[in-house]
Amino acid sequence: MVDYHRVVITGAGAVSPYGAGVDTLVENLLNNVGAVQFVQELKDTPFINSFVACKVPEIDFTFIPRQYRRYMTKMSLYAVMACQEALKNASIEKPSDDTALYIGSTMSSISSWLEFTKKYFDKELNMVKTMAVFQVLNHSPLANVAQALDMKGPGYFVSNACASSLTNIGLAYQMIKAGFIKRALCGGTEEYHPIFTGCFSILNAASTNFNDNPQKASRPFDKDRCGIVCSEGCAMLYIESLESALERKANILAEIKGFATNTETKNIAHPSRDSMQQCIQMALNDAKLKTTDIDLVNAHATSTVAGDIEEVCAIGNVFGKDIKVNSLKGHIGHSMAACGSMELISIMKMMLKNKVAGTLNLDNIDEQCNVVNHIRSTQEIKINNFVKNSFALGGTNASIVIGRYN
Amino acid sequence: MNKEEIIQKVNAALMKEFEIPEEKLVPTATFADMQVDSLDVVDMVITFEQTFKIDIRNNYKPGSFTNLGGLYDFIEKLINEKK
Repeated sequence: MVDYHRVVITGAGAVSPYGAGVDTLVENLLNNVGAVQFVQELKDTPFINSFVACKVPEIDFTFIPRQYRRYMTKMSLYAVMACQEALKNASIEKPSDDTALYIGSTMSSISSWLEFTKKYFDKELNMVKTMAVFQVLNHSPLANVAQALDMKGPGYFVSNACASSLTNIGLAYQMIKAGFIKRALCGGTEEYHPIFTGCFSILNAASTNFNDNPQKASRPFDKDRCGIVCSEGCAMLYIESLESALERKANILAEIKGFATNTETKNIAHPSRDSMQQCIQMALNDAKLKTTDIDLVNAHATSTVAGDIEEVCAIGNVFGKDIKVNSLKGHIGHSMAACGSMELISIMKMMLKNKVAGTLNLDNIDEQCNVVNHIRSTQEIKINNFVKNSFALGGTNASIVIGRYN
Repeated sequence: MNKEEIIQKVNAALMKEFEIPEEKLVPTATFADMQVDSLDVVDMVITFEQTFKIDIRNNYKPGSFTNLGGLYDFIEKLINEKK
């Protein structure tokens, strides 16, 4: 494989805690609007000590025909909507039969599984409807998007926890780069359930100190940060080979220049800076770029005490103390499988606007995190290349390098 | 439960859960007329078993009902047999 193909982004779509649409997402981020809210169900659930989350507002999905919609839970509904926006943005009326689909979530729909298993334990399995079978499949969003959009190409559902969307984008990029496919829709989707917050509560990694002030609850790199605020949504990219984009005279938004993924094996729960550093460096090597070519790193930074320190130190070790760093999780929480693609799209759009959002709630930088140049408010910054990280629970790391198309 | 109440509950479920337009819910309507497929029929049976607390699956025989009117009658028969 010598003649690699360049890979460009020509479409983007998102459903975020601000609602539907990429423009809505980016506008709210740049205006420093926090999406975290108090969730009564969390307070009412024993042994969960975090009462905050970000949830997608009510959206009318009846535009999706019932014959497809009946098998969908929220994560598939979000995915169909985000894919449709990405296709429209890419000026694709209908995906060609060779368009690949790469999508992932951390788990299948928890609410559907709970209903399903309740019937099992109540010995009422005969009362489970056929729709539920398709809703609890791990790859339900992949199957549902493919059916709804009549996508006949290769389909992959890669579930790598919170690195899922970035891994799916990275895989699609590698396949196009190597010439196996020419175009793909790729990203991640997630639907919130209180059990997500419960999981982080069990791990002592959920935000607990700002239950009375939800807007302050997610605060990456801040000295008072205390844990993750869970979120939901979907973000999808339409990517293709440069030849394909030029041939159809597509509007090129950006170029995917490099990608890397590796696995942390020292500890399943605690990421190490060595492993992250290696991942970032491999992505730069793949992009054939120097550290000085990178203008911004959009960190995974979930607002946990240990994770933020390890990541920012890894970034500092690779790029030095002057590298500009931000995290968008202060605004929109941690949308888990969707966070990589959602944040990638956000920063890509900000790059095109020459304006970048700062890390919300970074009021006082933790001394141990003060090893890079933190962006703390919306600033006009010219970015040519940026790195986006996703470092997942369980040890999956992913870094991607995005640049302006020249 | 009288026949009118049965018709009302069946139609309400068909409109809400299966999104069948009200104008299609006439006694002569077949499942094909209502544009429901085989998976929908399985789910409808569960819905009506739950709604009316009856056992459709073990009482159904081929030809038990062929249209919506027949379904109303079949449900009414099962409710009466239960009494």
